[in-house]
Amino acid sequence: MLRAEALSFAYPGQATPYVFSFDALPGQITAISGASGSGKSTLLDQLAGFLAPSSGTLTLDGMDFLPLPPERRPVSLLLQSESLFEHLSAARNIALGLPANTPRAVIDQRVAQALAEVGLTDIGPQRAATLSGGQKQRVALARTLLRDRPVLLLDEPFSALDDETRQTIRALVRTLTERHGWHTILVSHHQDDVAAIASRRYRLADYRLTQA
Amino acid sequence: MGGVAYSNSCGHSMTSLPPRPLRIAAAAILALAIAALIAVVLYSIFTTATGASGSASRLDIPHLVRMTTIQAGLTTVLSLIVGIALAWSLNRLRFPGRDLVVGLFSSAIVTPGMIVAFGLLTIWGRNGWINQAAEALTGHTLGNPAFGLSGILFAHVILDGAFAARILLARLDAIPQSRLKTGQSLALTARQRFAIVDWPAMAGTIPGLAAIIFLLAFTSFPIVLLLGGGPANQTLEVAIYAAVRQDFDLQGAVMLALTQIGVCSIVILGASALAPVPTSLGASIAPSWRDPLAARALQTVVLILCTLGFVLPLLTALIGGFSAGIPPVIATASFWHATAASLVIGSVSALLTLALALILTLGRSATSNGAARTALGIPSYAYLAVPAVVLSLGFFLAVRNLGVAPAVAAPYVVILGNTMLSLPFAVATLGPPLDAIARSRGKLIRSLGLSGWRQFALVEYPLLGRDIGVALALAFCFSLGDLGVIALFGTQDFQTLPLLMFRALGAYRGNDAAAIAAILLVGTIVAFVALPKLFERLAYVAR
Repeated sequence: MLRAEALSFAYPGQATPYVFSFDALPGQITAISGASGSGKSTLLDQLAGFLAPSSGTLTLDGMDFLPLPPERRPVSLLLQSESLFEHLSAARNIALGLPANTPRAVIDQRVAQALAEVGLTDIGPQRAATLSGGQKQRVALARTLLRDRPVLLLDEPFSALDDETRQTIRALVRTLTERHGWHTILVSHHQDDVAAIASRRYRLADYRLTQA
Repeated sequence: MGGVAYSNSCGHSMTSLPPRPLRIAAAAILALAIAALIAVVLYSIFTTATGASGSASRLDIPHLVRMTTIQAGLTTVLSLIVGIALAWSLNRLRFPGRDLVVGLFSSAIVTPGMIVAFGLLTIWGRNGWINQAAEALTGHTLGNPAFGLSGILFAHVILDGAFAARILLARLDAIPQSRLKTGQSLALTARQRFAIVDWPAMAGTIPGLAAIIFLLAFTSFPIVLLLGGGPANQTLEVAIYAAVRQDFDLQGAVMLALTQIGVCSIVILGASALAPVPTSLGASIAPSWRDPLAARALQTVVLILCTLGFVLPLLTALIGGFSAGIPPVIATASFWHATAASLVIGSVSALLTLALALILTLGRSATSNGAARTALGIPSYAYLAVPAVVLSLGFFLAVRNLGVAPAVAAPYVVILGNTMLSLPFAVATLGPPLDAIARSRGKLIRSLGLSGWRQFALVEYPLLGRDIGVALALAFCFSLGDLGVIALFGTQDFQTLPLLMFRALGAYRGNDAAAIAAILLVGTIVAFVALPKLFERLAYVAR
């Protein structure tokens, strides 16, 4: 179980600090919603390791990973945009999920498997810049599969998608979460996204998280 | 939150920038080495000055400072006026070949000043085209307007006005579409559009741009050397050269160098408080909102005049060179020696510049600490306070003090001098895109745990390809056209193409000088166009 206990953080000059506590279970999507500016991205940056809380604990199955830098945390990150390096091909973006010394043949095989799992088969050589919004999110999810980290952080991942693609990607995220036992944290201010796929819901208001 | 670090309870800071201590350490060591090099130059100059207390130099330093300041001040004002008018015209007009014209003005920064000066002499000189035409038509000549202050200003405005126009055009191109749409829907007049939409976009850049143009004009060497026409219009740089090479007055040269460093430092300190001038120039696209007919007519006139003013001196240099005859020049051994020296010095100093600029900018982009970024940036800009001839004089004194014959040290010193000359421009070219990558991609790079090398090979190099080519092209072209550094170290056995051309002019071998000018110009244009394209292509292949 992913557990945050009293993660406290304040920007310089901020009188009231944010204090975040929540639990997330494997194979489930935990949604965090709130108005713009309520602190959703601040929470996500702390989970990913880009901001350091002044106090609190963050554990996965009892192991505290708060001291770890972002690259060593058991976390994959999927943003609304810029989740991919647009100048690289889809395949090279996905291959970044594997260790640097992985043999070529293994890379090709694992990338093909990941692409197949997210429902894309023939776009590997295509440059990321030429992909549609939905394809980009699928490619980013394929990379997440290769990274094989138990926590997936989603920062408004469906916002830039049309309704039809949005539903497809939401279903894919839920399927992958269940299949791989990820602790998926979805940050969104879209209530329909939250309602569609979240198993557990929190609301962020007045610098605190409350379970909805 | 990109680039902003906050401390946690353990006392260490966390940031979205990937931790790259090796990059920061390498940049710090390099910055220190550059600072030490500048210190050696300054020390050599200071110690020579201290030992010169009894000597009575005949130099009138206050007059030289006054003349140099007047010339640089007038150049700055005129170049800005021309630059604003030209940028305004280029931004509005759509016509076939617009990209070529914009590219032409972009090349102003690398066009060797001595070629422009030579072209002006061909058009406006005593035996130039204008005087020949005037004499044929009226029986009288117009004198020699290419010499003296008017000639210097004309040559400077051709180069610096085009440079200013390209920078300001980029500002106009960056005006958001939403602002243009609002202005167009409000039916702003051409005058209102300039005042409300254009001017605010350019205004922030103008003070910094003025400081750069002032420094370029204040430290100008080949143009003043060729067009100065005597001591009345001499500037500090030319006076230093004359003191060393003609009057053998080292103490006088040192006093001039100290004055030069003092004035340049004051300008740089003042300019450091101003907004930086962006140097990354993207493709220019004319907006669809067109001005009324009268404004377009005015813009067309401005564009034609400026294009003629810029192109004619270069064209005359080319035509003059090819019609005078290239074969006799390339049949001489000295030409091939000078060509080999120019190519080797240009290539080595360009590669060295690129390596140093990459080390410094990769280090700077790896930290969000303001003091560290400033410390890593200052040494590369120190050159602006210690311009070519002064730097050359410092090296000259340093190697002499070390007991090394200047002729032996010459090739190394010229490479080092040219590298220092190009470094600020290479850093200004590579720094902003690297910072932008760190800001926009830092989280992704860090969350994927890419190593420093993979970060460079997969992300930075493919995205920087063209900028790397631009930095190399700038450094190569600066070195190819430089006369300031080689002027004090050149000998009969060691000379570059610009020095060979200068000596040909001094020996009244105008045809030889014309041929060398044409070859230099072609070499500069080819390098300036080809290198960025080549590296853009190489980086694309690396993707």
